[in-house]
Amino acid sequence: MNPLDLLYGAGGAWLAAGLAGLLAGSRRPGLRACCGLSALGGAAAAAGGGWSMVYGNTGLVTPGGGQTIAGGPLQLQATSLAGVFVALLGLVAVAIAWYAPRYHEPGRGTAIYLAAYHLALLACLAVLAAGGMVTFLVAWETMSLACYLLIVRHPRSDASARGAFWFLALSEIGFLLVVAAFVILSSKTHATALDAMAARAHLVSGGWLAAAFLLALAGFGFKAGLVPWHVWLPEAHPVAPADGSGFLSGVVVKLGVYGIALFAFRLDPVAGAWPGLVVMGAGALSAAIGILYAMRERDIKRFLAYSTIENTGIIVTAFGAAMIFHAYRLPALSAFLLIAGLYHVANHGCYKTLLFLEAGVVEHATGTRDMDRLGGLVHRLPRSAVIAFTGTLGIAALPPLNGFVSEWLIFQGLFQGFRTGSDLYGILIVLAAATLGLTGGLAIYAFVRGFGIPFLGMPRTRQAAAARETGQPLAGPGLLAVACVALAVGAPVMLAALSRTARTVTGVTLGPLLLPGKLTVLPAHADFSAFSPTYLAVFLVAACAVPALIYLAGRPRAASGPVPVWDGGMVSFKPRMQYSAMTFSAPTRVTFDALYRPAVSVTRASDDDPAGRSGPVHYEAQVTPIFERYLYRPVIRAVEWLADGVRPVQSGDVNLYLLYVFAVILLAYLLGAV
Amino acid sequence: MKPGQPGQDEPTAAEELRKQIAAQFGRSLHIRTLDTGSCAVCEQEIRLLTAPHYDLHRLGFFFTPAPRHADLLLVTGPMVRAFEVAARKTYEAMPGPKVVVATGACALGGVYQSDPFVHGEVDAVLPVDVWIPGCPPSPLALLQGLGVAVGRLAEKTPGLEFIDGGGA
Amino acid sequence: MPLWFARGLRRGVVTTRYPARSDPSAASLPTPPAFRPRQLTVRAVDQMIAECPGPALSRVAGTLVFDAGACTACGRCARVAPHAVTPSGEFELASTARPALIKLIPILGDQR
Repeated sequence: MNPLDLLYGAGGAWLAAGLAGLLAGSRRPGLRACCGLSALGGAAAAAGGGWSMVYGNTGLVTPGGGQTIAGGPLQLQATSLAGVFVALLGLVAVAIAWYAPRYHEPGRGTAIYLAAYHLALLACLAVLAAGGMVTFLVAWETMSLACYLLIVRHPRSDASARGAFWFLALSEIGFLLVVAAFVILSSKTHATALDAMAARAHLVSGGWLAAAFLLALAGFGFKAGLVPWHVWLPEAHPVAPADGSGFLSGVVVKLGVYGIALFAFRLDPVAGAWPGLVVMGAGALSAAIGILYAMRERDIKRFLAYSTIENTGIIVTAFGAAMIFHAYRLPALSAFLLIAGLYHVANHGCYKTLLFLEAGVVEHATGTRDMDRLGGLVHRLPRSAVIAFTGTLGIAALPPLNGFVSEWLIFQGLFQGFRTGSDLYGILIVLAAATLGLTGGLAIYAFVRGFGIPFLGMPRTRQAAAARETGQPLAGPGLLAVACVALAVGAPVMLAALSRTARTVTGVTLGPLLLPGKLTVLPAHADFSAFSPTYLAVFLVAACAVPALIYLAGRPRAASGPVPVWDGGMVSFKPRMQYSAMTFSAPTRVTFDALYRPAVSVTRASDDDPAGRSGPVHYEAQVTPIFERYLYRPVIRAVEWLADGVRPVQSGDVNLYLLYVFAVILLAYLLGAV
Repeated sequence: MKPGQPGQDEPTAAEELRKQIAAQFGRSLHIRTLDTGSCAVCEQEIRLLTAPHYDLHRLGFFFTPAPRHADLLLVTGPMVRAFEVAARKTYEAMPGPKVVVATGACALGGVYQSDPFVHGEVDAVLPVDVWIPGCPPSPLALLQGLGVAVGRLAEKTPGLEFIDGGGA
Repeated sequence: MPLWFARGLRRGVVTTRYPARSDPSAASLPTPPAFRPRQLTVRAVDQMIAECPGPALSRVAGTLVFDAGACTACGRCARVAPHAVTPSGEFELASTARPALIKLIPILGDQR
């Protein structure tokens, strides 16, 4: 009995769920049955993933006795590195399974959607449990296509087609690069099983290893959302249904991260510290750019999508620094940063999925995703607000929740960059830490806005005022909120499991350098710093209890009653006079105008009336994200120019086609004669 | 808080309230200023109170912009009718116990009479407890008025006659 | 601590000691008028009432009604009847009752 059996069970349950969804999803009982099976599968996957974190790598399994898939052998293996990702997949699957019955309306579209979703779940599981190259690639492509079907749930809207197309196009380019990387490694090591490739990697010359790594970084970076290949995220997330967006951000993006980790730590040991530097730089850049663009977004889902880019950047920065430390022969620090990165993977999966599910609840209740049309939802959706607040605290990395724990670990690892002994790399690692510090501050700012504008204050529109909580899904996001708290308070348990994972992957036992006692955490060195997440959580709760006790035990006060909010004495205070999402983030936007380069247009009723007394003043600011403007648009224009140049070949003139046929036959004749 | 007219039997409730105010505000008082349409010279004198020469902080008085944190409302100006709603809202936003002090000849009804645009005196809209005359009242007069309002100083006006005894 | 240091500190402190001690600058403040009842005649009082820009002065039979709250210390009544009006020097005029600021001054100048 090993973890792979549990994963088989999960896969079987999800296959059954997919079939149930496809056949019976048009009616409510079928929807419930499908989701029930999905939850079972999720539980099995979570258990299997958690077990394989501590169990180590299972052996290579070829099920069905030499079964081939797409011409290559079907090889499965439950690895420790993939364990975190599988556990996250299972947890997210359970949460979405509890969320979906109340979110989706039963119908034919839902049936197809459920089938595609479970196909995606199966494909993700197969990617994570792949023991061989072909299995990995086939599962990867299946996952991409299934996710495309997820995104086009509502095919009649224009934005839906555009978002899904961006996703598919960038997925395919990434896939091409990943195939190239795998093919290079496989042909040089003469093996297709991942274990064999890893074992023989040292035989491959440094140049090929480097090329394969860079191709893999780029290819997986497309899926993970590293800058400049992140463009599909803000396009695809808003148009997918909420649980689809949650699945994309919570799991699918993590698969890109898993691919980078796979190549960095297992398959592709490139010599030198420069690959780690490239990875760390890409991560730091993604983190900064992700959160800066998040500040501009009014659509809640686009905002969360940019935040996913930021968090992917943080995880990849941790992995990059781990590679640098490994190159400088500091295996303890390298393993520590690997643990920190994997912890952040688990944390981000939890709270990002939670926030996307809550965005779906808000959209369901009010009919809009625009922050500037919401407000006051904390009174109308109280329990959802509490759950969303837990997720917000987590993603803003505020103690005592899980985001703070993983970011503390990453920062403590980066701060020890001086131990490399190299001035240049020490400074660069600290620069990366400074960038992460900037993004951390901006993230708090962004999420105060992201939670405060829709939930607090007064409702800005009638739809926001009409929101009701009855019938909204609570169990799914609630489970993820509980997971966030558990990952924070139970950090020692999680760290113990992750250190076993690190031992399997890197061979380094951190043991007392990480967890000297039961509750304290050390950053791989005993003389640097220390931290106890459990004590911190307990202390913060107790600290809040003291003022509460003083208040309750105090002397009886005079009678008091509710009075109107102090609004500055205005004759009539309108909800539109509150902070809007764009004004709240205005200081950051103005500071970073050089990055945004907005195209601002101001039109007035008449030119000699700047104050707008004779008519309205129209202000419009358009931002084209920097990579779209300078990278994608030129490339797209070049491709279109090329296509335009080739078009005359296909003129539709039959005589020209006959000439082609004749020319080809003549050419073939001549070549044959030669 | 509205004490009774001098010369009548003062009800004990007002005395009690005054004692409470002296006990609570005697050491520390937060003042919120309100300009109901003055020429702003009274405001300049009020602002001088924070300057080093007069320094009202040494007496435990502080200015606060938030009526929710204020104990005393210092009102200037003849209570323009357009400001009535804001003045009432400011008064109602202050938690009890609270004191209203009207200062300046405008606020006491000495400059404008009631007409379609102005009430003429602050007492028409808000229940005033202490009146401080002057045009403008010097910072020393304001300090004495604030001291009277919290019960730290005795008021001198009942004893004043404005009659010059000497000379024929 | 040398005496000159303590003296310098005391001289450097510009804050007034009011209300504990009197402030010397109070002597130069413009203040409401004080009236000399024996110098007041009905004709002089009516002239003063015409000159006063506000409702501070009015006459009820043989009594001058002076509203100290409405007085802006402009000094026009003193210009009209200099022998009957002098600056009172009173600036501590805060009152907890509005009627306490209205003073009655007998007009005794017409009696012989």
